[in-house]
Amino acid sequence: MPKGQIVAGFLAPHPPHLVYGENPPQNEPRSEGGWEQLRWAYERARKSLDELKPDVLLVHSPHWMTQLGHHFLGVKKLSGKSVDPIFPNLFRYTFALDVDVELAEACCEEAKKEGLVSKMMRNPNFRVDYGTITTLHMIRPQWDIPVVGISANNSPYYLNTEEGLGEMDKLGKATRRAIERTGRRAVLLASNTLCHYHFHEEPKVPEDMSREHPENYAGYKWDMRMIDLMRRGKTKEMFAILPQFIAEAFAEVKSGAFTWMFAAMGYPELPGELHGYGTVIGTGNAVVEWNLVKAKLAKAA
Amino acid sequence: MTIVSAFLVPGSPLPYLKPDNPPWRPIADGLKAAGAALQASKPDVILAYSTQWIAVLDELWQTRPHLKGLHVDENWYEFGDLKFDIRTDVKLAEACVAGSKEIGVNAKAVDYDEFPIDTGTIVMSAYLNADGKKPLVIASNNLYHDGATTEKLGAMAAAKAKAQGKRVAIVGIGLLSGSIFRQEIDVAKDRIADPAEDVWNKRMLGLMERGDAAGIRNAAGDYAKQAKVDMGFKHMFWLLGGLGGSFKGAKVHGYGPVYGNGAAVVELRPN
Repeated sequence: MPKGQIVAGFLAPHPPHLVYGENPPQNEPRSEGGWEQLRWAYERARKSLDELKPDVLLVHSPHWMTQLGHHFLGVKKLSGKSVDPIFPNLFRYTFALDVDVELAEACCEEAKKEGLVSKMMRNPNFRVDYGTITTLHMIRPQWDIPVVGISANNSPYYLNTEEGLGEMDKLGKATRRAIERTGRRAVLLASNTLCHYHFHEEPKVPEDMSREHPENYAGYKWDMRMIDLMRRGKTKEMFAILPQFIAEAFAEVKSGAFTWMFAAMGYPELPGELHGYGTVIGTGNAVVEWNLVKAKLAKAA
Repeated sequence: MTIVSAFLVPGSPLPYLKPDNPPWRPIADGLKAAGAALQASKPDVILAYSTQWIAVLDELWQTRPHLKGLHVDENWYEFGDLKFDIRTDVKLAEACVAGSKEIGVNAKAVDYDEFPIDTGTIVMSAYLNADGKKPLVIASNNLYHDGATTEKLGAMAAAKAKAQGKRVAIVGIGLLSGSIFRQEIDVAKDRIADPAEDVWNKRMLGLMERGDAAGIRNAAGDYAKQAKVDMGFKHMFWLLGGLGGSFKGAKVHGYGPVYGNGAAVVELRPN
């Protein structure tokens, strides 16, 4: 079996508004559109993903928050109806997904070797969180690639940002080893928003884009500063200021997905391709791709 | 009398799913005792606030007439599934949506098939409303609300129930101290993770037993910070609001750990 490899990582945020705006058949509510720039950003990301021909998509979601360790979906097929507890008016999505249980188990074993508490979720009645589902739908609406779903341990909140992200760094390194030893071509999805300041009232027509803009100017400037570093491949500099960004922009990357993804990729000083940026109920969201094949850090399919 | 009984209960599924585990038995037994007390008070409706039903935009109120299904806790899925069969007092819940707006709190009704009911509400209902016959009004925990706002919501909900001539059991669902074990433990040896938090929990339970609402208010801020109390102890403020700001005293039906957290089942005696 050839050694597995990570072929790309995407910052792939999960506002359910994007699914709502797209009107896929799986989602009950109907919209008149909205959030086009982010949805078109995902369209570009979808094309790129298609060319990468991955065997598996790994997604780390802040909306499966676990207290005791890092958890992995461990049931071969999971299905159901996901209703967003915050935006049930926008997201009531019927899903069915295939889990790459072998890889998930390898990730879990490698995480244990890193000294992390890690667990396999084996309950077939488990309802997959809406963050995982939204990110997966937006990047691959065909649902034809197996996934590994990873919980966000609450350590960055329960302990502190640095300690918590230290755990995510270990989790990323463990994930990489698991991918390599199972021979997979893997794409990583960090399901995170950037600045997370948001409005506290929803417009009567949620997709009324005349009401959509950054909630917080300082947070917007922080987003642009971080995206600029991403686009220039200044990874070391970006991670040096990440805790400050998190503190001052209330950034959702605190939950760990972004650190997990970069740790797994080996923190490459590689320019990210910005597919698009936009706000959702005032929060900052960017779809960014780090393509390791184009950078010749991974082999083409 | 509008408020005929009041209870502070934990929302952890562990004592429900594994009631025979010795450290969790006091909580499971306490919840059974609280259920008997609630039924004996003959309420028309249960007004419930759960720290685990998280909202961020508005105050959400459940208005689905009948909620039935199976829930799997996102943390403790290996211990089993949680069945639920809950009826809603829609008329009162809708009055609470309107009443929230009257006191300056944005609010919305939630009436969606398969909406994810939180673990705490399900566990509470399983013990305190085992036959599912009493209708509930379920209020969310908006993360941006403080204790004072939550107290106002509790008071408003009680007032709306009074206006409808209903006898009310009010329930605050949440844990006490918040330190948890971050490594897997032998659950048969569970204990409060931090002894200092154990002291804090017992001090607060003492204040409840004495009916010292002022003492609870004075200590709540420090307690929340120093003992990492679940959601800043807002579930207690919900109860204080519903009880009109004071109560006669309390009976602690059970106290103990749930994976290091502090948990208690307390019956508060309304004035």
